[in-house]
Amino acid sequence: MNEIKTTRRNFIISSLALGGALVIGTRAQAAIVDAEPWDLANPAGSVEFTPWLTINADGSVIVRATAVDIGNGTLTQIAAYIKEELDPVWDQIKPQYASTNRDYLEENVYSNANVGGALAYFSGRSTGPARMDTYMQVAASARERLKAAAAAAWSVPAGEITITEGVLNHASGKSSGIGEFVQAAAAIQLAEEPKPKDRSEWTFLGKKHPGKVQLPQIVNGSLIYGVDVIVPKMVYAALRQSPVMGGTLKSFDADAVKSMPGVLAVVAVKPGDNVPTDLKPPFPFGVSTAQHAVAVIAEHYWQARTALDALPVEWDDGPGAQWKTTQQMNNAAIAALDKPGEKVEVSTGDFDGVFKAARKTVEGTYLTPYCEQAPMEPLNGTAMVTPERVDFWHPSQHSQMAYMVAADETGVKPENVFFHQTFVGGGFGRRVFSDDARMVVAVAKHFPGRPVHVIWSREEATRQGRYRPLMAGRLWAALGDDGYPTALQGRVSGGPGFFVSGINDTAITALLPNVQIESQTVPFHILTGPYRGPGYNSNAFFIETFLDECAVAAGVDPMEYRLQIFGKWADIGWAKCLNEVKAKSRWGEALPKGQGRGVAIANWGMGGKADAGTTVATVAKVEVSKEGVLKILQIDLAFDTGRIVNEDAVRTELEGGTMFGLNMAVNEGLNIKDGQIVEGNFDEYPMLRMADMPAQINVHFGGLSDNPRFNEIGEPPAGVIGPAVGNAIFQATGTRIRQMPFRTQDMSWS
Amino acid sequence: MAVNLMINGKATEVDADPQTPLLWVLRDHLGMTGTKFGCGIAQCGACTVHIDGVATRSCQFPLEAAEGVKITTIEGLSADSSHPLQKLWVEFNVPQCGYCQTGMLMAAAALLDEIPNPTDADIDQYVSNICRCGTYTRVRAAIHKAADMMKA
Repeated sequence: MNEIKTTRRNFIISSLALGGALVIGTRAQAAIVDAEPWDLANPAGSVEFTPWLTINADGSVIVRATAVDIGNGTLTQIAAYIKEELDPVWDQIKPQYASTNRDYLEENVYSNANVGGALAYFSGRSTGPARMDTYMQVAASARERLKAAAAAAWSVPAGEITITEGVLNHASGKSSGIGEFVQAAAAIQLAEEPKPKDRSEWTFLGKKHPGKVQLPQIVNGSLIYGVDVIVPKMVYAALRQSPVMGGTLKSFDADAVKSMPGVLAVVAVKPGDNVPTDLKPPFPFGVSTAQHAVAVIAEHYWQARTALDALPVEWDDGPGAQWKTTQQMNNAAIAALDKPGEKVEVSTGDFDGVFKAARKTVEGTYLTPYCEQAPMEPLNGTAMVTPERVDFWHPSQHSQMAYMVAADETGVKPENVFFHQTFVGGGFGRRVFSDDARMVVAVAKHFPGRPVHVIWSREEATRQGRYRPLMAGRLWAALGDDGYPTALQGRVSGGPGFFVSGINDTAITALLPNVQIESQTVPFHILTGPYRGPGYNSNAFFIETFLDECAVAAGVDPMEYRLQIFGKWADIGWAKCLNEVKAKSRWGEALPKGQGRGVAIANWGMGGKADAGTTVATVAKVEVSKEGVLKILQIDLAFDTGRIVNEDAVRTELEGGTMFGLNMAVNEGLNIKDGQIVEGNFDEYPMLRMADMPAQINVHFGGLSDNPRFNEIGEPPAGVIGPAVGNAIFQATGTRIRQMPFRTQDMSWS
Repeated sequence: MAVNLMINGKATEVDADPQTPLLWVLRDHLGMTGTKFGCGIAQCGACTVHIDGVATRSCQFPLEAAEGVKITTIEGLSADSSHPLQKLWVEFNVPQCGYCQTGMLMAAAALLDEIPNPTDADIDQYVSNICRCGTYTRVRAAIHKAADMMKA
């Protein structure tokens, strides 16, 4: 547990209706779950106990979120912390997004190093220890102040007062809603700040599993995503970027479309047209660089789209056009494996000597293609830029990055940039780097004074991604007389931005005495970025397919092989997960010809250490027809996050992450022709649908180790389902699948 | 061109190019944003509405074809989120990001109108919408439960 520093600033108490934020000249900028997603000040009569927590006169509670809810339930999670410590009425807890502008003005009030710092997600993940303790501590502090205020009014000891469902109670019969005492509580100075409850005292966390707080607004269509933003005087823009990444805009003929209905302007965007700030962004600004682009601005979106399609545009493709075909790029990535990698990631023991002496070795070469995150809400955003001020409404995955990018693009002072986080129609990593945020602002600044709502077409979003990198991997193992590996060598290669995590820092590399992992960058022009389980989503496929090949070479059952290897690992979660899926999937029961089971196990986030990250073991049962048509019959998985706080939230993420990883493995792969991405829409880039899924994804809880951590859950399942299915295909057909997507591989048998 | 529309039981007039997809008429011209834009080529189903009771992908349904038909959007599925599917979507915690779910609900509602007790194969056929978050197993379970409830 992190120690919480209760600095003076963390406990500023404002009994004014509009709070400390107003005093220093900002408005609270926030999105709310059940209203328009911006511009909410503290309500009249409320008290802001800390920037994280405001209690209103009616007893409702505002809690502020930094980690954006992309469907993973962060808003619900922080509401649950407040419920545990303060016990307001559940429906009266109102999560809002914290203001990035305020964070800037108040010296990282939400993102300072004590509470998580500027991390991959604004101020850290919702179940990280820093976040969890912060929320619980501020709620506990508010609870004790309310009790002290009521105790003074009722002339009873504070220790005899309880708060239940938003009501202060005393055995004497005195009773009052918490809202009535907020002003008095604000004036209370506690002799000592309370600590968050110990886990053994929890009555809500780990016991209840509330559904997401925004569900009522989702099911009636009233939830406001970025694309739903409508502000007065708004216009729309349709966007086209250089078809070859890195290419430049040669010319366009605006006159050809200017008289089309509704058309207001045609504008060009180019990189380096920004007005840099000295802000220190969570990621280097370089990852958000704009590509050359042209946009048509019109009164209505369809007018903009129609005019853009009619706009004559000439591009200079630049050096990226040298990559004529997908095969050429695949070959280049695989060729890079033929020589030692430029970088040695890990080197332990005498791997060279062991290989030379080995009587049996195994080798496998694997490939994963570029993949697009394809969130269902196409990229978009709405910005109004003037020389003095920026207002920006956007479905970001990282509101702080998007806020800073808006300042960096326009040169408007950060204190005059107002970023309004909206709900997000899927993230999966696509909306982290904020290249989309920059493009929106870059277009809007050419049409100042009116809000410009830029919407990517699906084709534009698919072809202008920041993709899961194309990666190749080759692995070699020396097997001992018992068939188990004694040394491991691996090489991975990919375009700029590829990741080695998941292969250089996983259990097998830590367990074996003789290991070397090397990497090599190949000069591809395609831009890459985070995609659910970065690095891991390729590397878990490489290493878990390879381990299966080792088991076959050793003549050992693949489940027993892994149990033998990972049974020796210091983290008991690995063996627990394997044993759980072994039992629950009926591993070993005979199957008809053409069916098979496969297993894979991996860990997201362990960083080479035991008792860290999240381990997932998945067993897939598949059927492959003689013609080679794959059907998934059953999926069983077990996991170890250490501990969990919301069983159903964990279950949904494991179901969803498994489906995401399954689609990645079976369906996804972008092709390149003359430097351009070929696929544009879901007719060319297929997605699993209801008919493709087994009726159930069986999530089992018997792998949990009870290690004191609440680790991440969204990304871990995405890495293991692919190799589990690939290994099952081998059992069913005898064909080893070494390349994604599987649908391009011949699985027919006779 | 001014076109008279009947949306969720109310008569509405819209002045737009007759080729404008109904999706953008609803979202942009009428401010009814519950119907979502996902792909624009009738692949994903996020834009599903009912046209005379039939689930229809509004991104490929031009304004000029919308005159004289009854249009129902998510805003009109029920007045107060009381459709059994809406209640079960909440109870089963079906949505993740939620973006595709209004289209899912409209597809599922049309299915239950036509086939009150659908099989898994019926669901596969009628609810072919794309959900990137992977909520399919819960969507299926909620549709079956709704069918049970509506029978009772």
